[in-house]
Amino acid sequence: MEPQWGWLIAIYLFLGGLGAGCFLAAAAFELTRKRYQYEFCAVTLTGSVVAGPAVAIGAILLIFDLGAGLHEPWRILYMFSLRNFHSVMMWGVWILSIFIPLALLYGLLEILDTFPGVRRWFESRKWLRWLRFLHQIPLRPTKRIIVIIGCFFAIATALYTGVLMSAMGPAVPFWSTSVLPCVGGRMRPVLFLVSALSTGIGLTVDLAATMTVREIAHRVPAMPAIHLALIGLETLLLGLLFITAFVDGGVSAQAAQDIVVGPHSIIFWVLIVVPGFIFPFVVHVYAVGLGRHSALSGLGSGVGIVAAGLFLRYLILIAGIPAAL
Amino acid sequence: MDIEKQNLSRRQLLSLGLTAGALTAVSTTIGKGFAAETPDAPGTEDQQATYALIIDTTVCTGCGACVAACNIKNELPEGQSFIHPIIKGDEHTRWYLMVQCQHCAVMYCNQACPTDATYIRDDGVVILNDKLCVGCKACIYACPYQARIFNEQKGVADKCWLCMDLVLGGGLPACVQACIPGARIFGRSDDPNSQASQLIASGLAKPLHPEFGTRPAVLRYIIEE
Repeated sequence: MEPQWGWLIAIYLFLGGLGAGCFLAAAAFELTRKRYQYEFCAVTLTGSVVAGPAVAIGAILLIFDLGAGLHEPWRILYMFSLRNFHSVMMWGVWILSIFIPLALLYGLLEILDTFPGVRRWFESRKWLRWLRFLHQIPLRPTKRIIVIIGCFFAIATALYTGVLMSAMGPAVPFWSTSVLPCVGGRMRPVLFLVSALSTGIGLTVDLAATMTVREIAHRVPAMPAIHLALIGLETLLLGLLFITAFVDGGVSAQAAQDIVVGPHSIIFWVLIVVPGFIFPFVVHVYAVGLGRHSALSGLGSGVGIVAAGLFLRYLILIAGIPAAL
Repeated sequence: MDIEKQNLSRRQLLSLGLTAGALTAVSTTIGKGFAAETPDAPGTEDQQATYALIIDTTVCTGCGACVAACNIKNELPEGQSFIHPIIKGDEHTRWYLMVQCQHCAVMYCNQACPTDATYIRDDGVVILNDKLCVGCKACIYACPYQARIFNEQKGVADKCWLCMDLVLGGGLPACVQACIPGARIFGRSDDPNSQASQLIASGLAKPLHPEFGTRPAVLRYIIEE
């Protein structure tokens, strides 16, 4: 079988996870009211503003990957048909269609809340007079409701991409590996969720927040610990994935071998393990111990985690070897 | 606003963790409930359609005439065919497994399809309605036999449709007509006198990889044990 899904889909998987993770990171700060303890909180601003566009761009890439659906765009409406209850891709288009507007709205509300000048600009526009009734709606409670609803769809977005791969079942054994050998429960959805959270926190906290609020590790000491726990969990899941794949044997073991020591090993070790796992792990261990990390190490950690997230999804995608016949 | 050093209290951390866990559990349950990862009624029991196509791998020489005939009959792009050969065995015991759509009773392919574009006819033949296909290629990955191809020209997935236009007119599929050593036997499985029926009844012709749980209804293979 010729591999059909390439970089377009890998980037979509990454953007979907990143957007969902950013949303959840921002939501955590919003719902614990941490966002309101600073004059300006980079985490919620970055998270909310990146989440919607990231997943939207991913969805556009999905459309470009289609065949007939691209030339005859009305066919895309057929994808929403609820006739085929089993199709994960169908549930995916529904989840994205609900999540993207919610995330975009959250981004807009967060901008309006953070920058009163922007809000005044909108209020003073003549061509927006017909929207005056919106001024009556309280901004912050609305934002909270959208964030709470959005959280479910963010988790669904991060999970469903993993379920999509797992649902291929016996056709691509490496994609449907269980969590542990001989134990039920597919690995991929959990791994993708944790990876999404990690990339989301990597972008919002390590990158954005560190650039603007240097002392973020001081302000929220739990942050490095939480991120460390996530990195640790992701490492554990990835390790379990490979162990189970090797134990399962057949093409699953072949795929795992290709990644760890075979043709894909350079991408795996140099572009995923070191920048996405080892380096951030060390940085955050220091952060938890010393109570801070330098801006440079935070940036490096953030960039590394985000890049590793992209390459990890690409690698899992291209390493999926179909079942032997 | 006074910026002060804030520690997440143990209670806050606990409630945050529990909320996150609950959200994940609920979402995963909803997700798993909707996206069944196990197919509709999987099983390895034999399933029969009206037609049977039996490929005798002990006779097949791997000449590829069926592959070429399929390409020509279906006007596929150059190099594409609904039949793909798999070379098996070593240099002393070489044999060929010609794989095409098995017309399974349990359509793993359609379970991945967001537009529900594949359906089973009353006679058990599985047909893809290319008017509904968006070309997402999920079915191409979902088929455990890798029997589907992506037709770049039409932008849709495509697969063996058992040359229904020829068969319904009383003829044979193109691959059966083209087979030079006579390794392909086509017949009606509801006719006990047909060679195909007898091969199935004798247990010589068996489904390919029944452990996938797909219950192939049309295709059977005679493979030397």
